[in-house]
Amino acid sequence: MASSSNSKADADVDDEVPEEALEHFDDFTLASSWERFISEIEAVCRLWMADGPKNLLEKGAVLLVCSSNLYKVKSEMKYALKSYCMEYYFESTSDGKAIEWNSNLHDLQLCFGVKEFLVIAPQSASGVVLDAPEASKLLSAVAIALSNCSSLWPAFVPVHDPSRKAYIGIQNMGTVFTRRFEADKIGSQAYSTSDLSLHLFKVQFAMRLTYRTVPYDDDDDIKGIDAELTNSRENPSGETSNRTQWDDDCSWSEWYSAEDPVRGFELIAILSDKMVESSMEMAELENASPHEAEKWLISPSFSPNLLEGSKGSRIGFSSQLHLLVDALEMSFEAQFMEDFVSVENPGSDNLNSSMVIPPPTVIDRVMKELFHEGEQLTEFSDGEHKTSRYIKGAPLESLFAQFCLHSLWFGNCHIREYVREVRWCWEESQSLPRMPANGLLDLSTCLINQKLHMLAICIEKKRQLNEDFQDCIGSEDHTDYSTEEESVAGDETSNKQKPIENFSGKVDSFSISDDSHSSGRIIARDGRKPEDASLPTDKKPSECTRRGSAGSIDSMMLLKSYQSMHAPYTQEAPLMTEDMHEERLQAVEAFGDSFDFSAQLEKDILTSDMSAFKAANPDAVFEDFIRWHSPGDWEEDDLKDSVSSSGINTGKPKDNWPPQGHLSKRMSEQGNLWRKIWDSVPALPASEQKPLLDPNREGEKVLHYLETLRPHQLLEQMVCTAFRAAADTLNQTSYGEMEQMVTKMDQLYLTMASGLKPLQDSETIADLRRLSVVFEHVEKLLTLAASLHRKLLRAPRLSKEIFSDFYSFYIPRMGTGLKEDVVNKEFDKKLEVRNHERGVVSSMFSPPTANQSWRKVLSMGNLLNGHEPILREIIFSLCDKVNGNHYAARDPNASQTEMQTYRMYICGTSNDLRVALSVVSCD
Amino acid sequence: MDSASSQAEFDYLFKLLMIGDSGVGKSSLLLCFTVDTFEELSPTIGVDFKVKYVTLDGKNLKLAIWDTAGQERFRTLTSSYYRGAQGIIMVYDVTRRETFTNLSEVWAREVDLYSTNQDCIKMLVGNKVDKEGERVVTKKEGLDFAREYGCLFIECSAKTRINVQNCFEELVLKILDTPSLLAEGSKGLKKNIFKDKPPQADASTSSCC
Repeated sequence: MASSSNSKADADVDDEVPEEALEHFDDFTLASSWERFISEIEAVCRLWMADGPKNLLEKGAVLLVCSSNLYKVKSEMKYALKSYCMEYYFESTSDGKAIEWNSNLHDLQLCFGVKEFLVIAPQSASGVVLDAPEASKLLSAVAIALSNCSSLWPAFVPVHDPSRKAYIGIQNMGTVFTRRFEADKIGSQAYSTSDLSLHLFKVQFAMRLTYRTVPYDDDDDIKGIDAELTNSRENPSGETSNRTQWDDDCSWSEWYSAEDPVRGFELIAILSDKMVESSMEMAELENASPHEAEKWLISPSFSPNLLEGSKGSRIGFSSQLHLLVDALEMSFEAQFMEDFVSVENPGSDNLNSSMVIPPPTVIDRVMKELFHEGEQLTEFSDGEHKTSRYIKGAPLESLFAQFCLHSLWFGNCHIREYVREVRWCWEESQSLPRMPANGLLDLSTCLINQKLHMLAICIEKKRQLNEDFQDCIGSEDHTDYSTEEESVAGDETSNKQKPIENFSGKVDSFSISDDSHSSGRIIARDGRKPEDASLPTDKKPSECTRRGSAGSIDSMMLLKSYQSMHAPYTQEAPLMTEDMHEERLQAVEAFGDSFDFSAQLEKDILTSDMSAFKAANPDAVFEDFIRWHSPGDWEEDDLKDSVSSSGINTGKPKDNWPPQGHLSKRMSEQGNLWRKIWDSVPALPASEQKPLLDPNREGEKVLHYLETLRPHQLLEQMVCTAFRAAADTLNQTSYGEMEQMVTKMDQLYLTMASGLKPLQDSETIADLRRLSVVFEHVEKLLTLAASLHRKLLRAPRLSKEIFSDFYSFYIPRMGTGLKEDVVNKEFDKKLEVRNHERGVVSSMFSPPTANQSWRKVLSMGNLLNGHEPILREIIFSLCDKVNGNHYAARDPNASQTEMQTYRMYICGTSNDLRVALSVVSCD
Repeated sequence: MDSASSQAEFDYLFKLLMIGDSGVGKSSLLLCFTVDTFEELSPTIGVDFKVKYVTLDGKNLKLAIWDTAGQERFRTLTSSYYRGAQGIIMVYDVTRRETFTNLSEVWAREVDLYSTNQDCIKMLVGNKVDKEGERVVTKKEGLDFAREYGCLFIECSAKTRINVQNCFEELVLKILDTPSLLAEGSKGLKKNIFKDKPPQADASTSSCC
């Protein structure tokens, strides 16, 4: 044992010396290290052969990046102190067909026209360079091993410097034939095909031409910087960039300009096997136009930044959101806005590291723009994603969302300036820009947005108040009269009613003011609609005391007097922001589980309604109110009874007086709360009642809230709103409805909705960071989708498929972790261009400009719209029938098919040529 | 469902909302569930609110049930109660068809509009099955609507108490089955101002799910 290991060690030291001097303990001692090397190779090969592709796949063969079908296994072995790596490349499905010249061939397959093969090379391929004798020694070792196990695999060994891609190789072709391979690069030599004996043989010819479009975006670095300036319109020097950005009309271009992710396209045109019989033909073919090619393949070349991780090199929403999340983290430590803002100052660079601090003038300008040029909005919801309202932010166009987006790009939130502007609007009764001054508060938005909405409404009401004070004229009677006229003119039969919220008795200004649907409407059911006041029902003595009527209700008559029932104007239900709801809820809870609880607010509303109803219908009784307000609690007696009681008069319901019926049991019970309230309220039109919502007080409260906002309260809402607004902005981009992108966008919204929900504890900061990483991925994909979409507008299939390929390539690497997973794979999927799409693709190769056409000097033909191919590959091959040869008869493959006896692969241009030869010889 | 003995300690707080036309028996259902009695009640003014502690699935739950008024006048205000509700109970009266049609035409739309919670569990409840003789909405119609709208369905009677406990129990179990709602329930706990709850509430949360 000891001696055998000794002998091994010796053998390793001087491998060339045969070990005959030693005694024969073991076979291995006889063998030279060279022999052992061979047998090692042989063993591995036998193993691989025995396994076959199927088992090798199960044992974990690796799929090559470039190919869909080519796998490799490898094994390492040592010889002469060097370690070698042998790799076996094979296809999972060996269907025996000859390989097609398509996009994803392995280099060696392409060069030598082989299918499966072995490569043996020194372990560290870059470090160790094989010189020619060493290489051929290695090759012969493999060749011996392969013939020992009677394998027909071709084997290759790299020679020289790796950049030359030079190989030698050998293949045992059965008994008599051996194929030898050789490939190398020729530095500077024009090639000619005349050395082929064309007159003797029919030569197969195939050519592949690769073209590249002129890069779309050459100088993105410069652009990246000035884009920031021009796009946020904060370029103080007034320098205008007259260059048009590729994304000028994309939704994000208002905020930043993205680098075009698509640098250009490569087109590969393939002319497949043609039989050439004369040099004339050959010359023609060499200049063939790519339009004659059977196959066109297109592949995009992407900007390298597209695949980079989040290194902050890319400016976009995501990078800014990332900074905002940092700011949020800091805000937890700051007690007051002053502390926080001072932390934010340029002194500490946390937030502003990558940001140019805009000068005060710019801030002024943006504030002005935000406040004074913003259009009045009534409806949002444009371009919003369906799940976007589940993110507690603000609608994209709203004042707060715009503030957040501006803050993103300033890297500093100028909340004090902002609140100052808001306060100014309030003091001056100027309507708040970008906020609707009516409608209901949307509690699904963030609190600041609700507050601002509330403020906008308060300002509106305050304004109306002021106007009323200024032109407070006319008696109450006059007011009522005009009100009824209004209802004829403006209201007609709509169920909507104008809000009554004034205190001076002047009503008409409200009727025109706004359309406050869904609040304060007339209760009308079962087709009973507010009737035109002009109908002759008004000629009643009580008319003079009727106040605050919005018109009579069709077919409804009072119970106790022969008059039609009038619906009163009612006060709008008071608006409440979510913190007010919260307060109420807490008050209720504090009350405990008290049995009789009914919300005071609703009681106030009911009181107000009853009061107004009494005023509009002076002769009404409690039952009348119930019939109008809660029809379900009025049970009409059976029709038969009423017919029998009222006799013949069944034509008009109006004549069916008095209405027969009774209150529901629950309404008629002793001590009913409703009746109690009814009995206690005075008759007062809504206009004279104490308002349910005091605009002055509520407005002040809103401003107080804004002015005393804690930093983290602000930042939390800013984060939510900024995420949502950024996503909504991106979502407006048209990208041709690429399926995966739509799904991804949906996913992003869902992720944001759940990720932004628990903005309470600091552990979510990490979650938010992850969220901004997710956002970055989606943003990248969207930019790409948009870019592809607009470049291939007329070939939507291509843009969709390219995107889809990239998507499946990209998705595995978009881990949401913050650390970078470096996967250095190249994206090189190629897509076949269909015939009808060729026009579109070819038009992307616009004829070169004058300064580009100097390259033509070197031109060798095959021009596409004047573009020379960047790569030209040609394969010549000669075939011989070999079945006449009796030596080959035992080999079934060779006996039946023609054998490629001579093959030459040429690649490159005239002064940078790679040539690979494979020759079959009989030895 | 047993009433939990100690009122202070609970693992989750869920907010439930009852909606439907006026007079379908929402308040009666709630009363039946919370204090196990039935009586004719004054119509709710605006909104009513009840708290019930229950133990279900080994978890102590606090249910805050908001009972809204069906009158149209209150509806604009009612919209605000949808916020943050984990369960919405839509009640109709099996003896009044319009209360059923209004659910699909009015109330279901309100839910879609105002609910701030995507996963919130909806339940359709046909009340007053004790009046079998006056029934105009068949069980099948109820089932069909529930299927179409993707919600739970049950028929019950506040008067005879049949299925009332079941109805609430089913809804709460469903909420307990939904992780996002469960998370909200425990979050509501954290935020709760009246937190006399012990700090180990969190620990029990994680251990039991």
